Amino acid sequence: MPKGTTPNSARSMRPADLERAGVWLAGHGLADVRPTPLLAMRLAVRRSTRLAAHVLPAAFIIVAALIHVTHRPDDTAADGSWPYRHWSLLALTAAAAGLVLAQSLLDRWVRRVDRRAGATLPRRAAHPVRLGWRTVLGGPRAAFAVATFAGATALAIAALTMRDSTARYAALVLLIALCGIAVGMVVQLRHILTHPVVADDEVSLTADLIMRVEDAREVAAPTVVWCLPIASVFDTALGWWNAAWLVFVVLGAGTLALITARTAPSGTVARHATSGR
Amino acid sequence: MIVIDSASPVPPFEQLRAQLARQIRSHTLAVGTRLPTIRRLAANLGLAANTVGRAYRELEEAGLIETRRAAGSFVAAAGEKGREQARRAAAEYAAVIAGAGIDTDEAIRIVRAALTNGTTTPSSP
Repeated sequence: MPKGTTPNSARSMRPADLERAGVWLAGHGLADVRPTPLLAMRLAVRRSTRLAAHVLPAAFIIVAALIHVTHRPDDTAADGSWPYRHWSLLALTAAAAGLVLAQSLLDRWVRRVDRRAGATLPRRAAHPVRLGWRTVLGGPRAAFAVATFAGATALAIAALTMRDSTARYAALVLLIALCGIAVGMVVQLRHILTHPVVADDEVSLTADLIMRVEDAREVAAPTVVWCLPIASVFDTALGWWNAAWLVFVVLGAGTLALITARTAPSGTVARHATSGR
Repeated sequence: MIVIDSASPVPPFEQLRAQLARQIRSHTLAVGTRLPTIRRLAANLGLAANTVGRAYRELEEAGLIETRRAAGSFVAAAGEKGREQARRAAAEYAAVIAGAGIDTDEAIRIVRAALTNGTTTPSSP
């Protein structure tokens, strides 16, 4: 990369990014629109951050599993050493905070690129109405995310009532991890809903909203929640708990598939919201 | 959609005010529609918050929007009140025209010129 060239502007010059932007537009019913370097740059940054956003929860689950395995009390000392456990729970809380911070930094990166892109536009376009979470995320997905967290929390609390202290400890690990994921999700959704629009005409305004809707749907999908007990509880919980969690995941996956099939694609949501004003 | 052109000779607050007013009067923005907060719209359009605030204030004075402190700004039903004011002003104008003995065509030309120049305030000399 030449000196003085920012990574973002260099990215915008790549023909592959422009080509991908064209494919993205066509995939959202905007095949007749020519992709601009600005759109290509914004999409490229989102691709990178989305990849990192997928890796982060995976790393978090691995860290949670490692903490659980490393500090798990052995069978001879079922009650374990509590100071030792306190340290492990603190480490897990720190990992959860690190996850939220890393997600927040990724969002800040996207916002910074968007802000710089917006500053180069001689014209700025915006929606004259307030687009809330109902438009961007949609009621069914929001309700589904809340229900998933509520269900997972209820199951974790149920595991806390077990007699086996190892299972209780694993449930505590699950609860802390759930809190971390929930806070991360809220922070990301807030960023998606509040960061400024970058558009100069109706097409770019539509594209901006499509990106927002896709980001929100991606963030609100509770796939990480479904995977969390693998790191701790599955190893220690009773058979009924594991069966209950599997039923919870299957029902959740079915509901998410149904919601995805029944709700309008992001392109349709964006076009409706933009052209309706 | 609202578009602000920084190269336009029209001040940004007037561009914003005029576009919102037009969309409210044409019912593109329905009564009760919630407008973005001043800070949010300013960030979206790359304007200062004061600029958006001034446009909102003028729309409020014109009765087109109303601001409820906690809930934000909404399109007011008073868009209709504005029309009623215009009808009353037109009736007064018609009375002045009749009193001065000006014919209808000329009266319409005067109104059209006033609208074109943006001097719609009846109090101007």
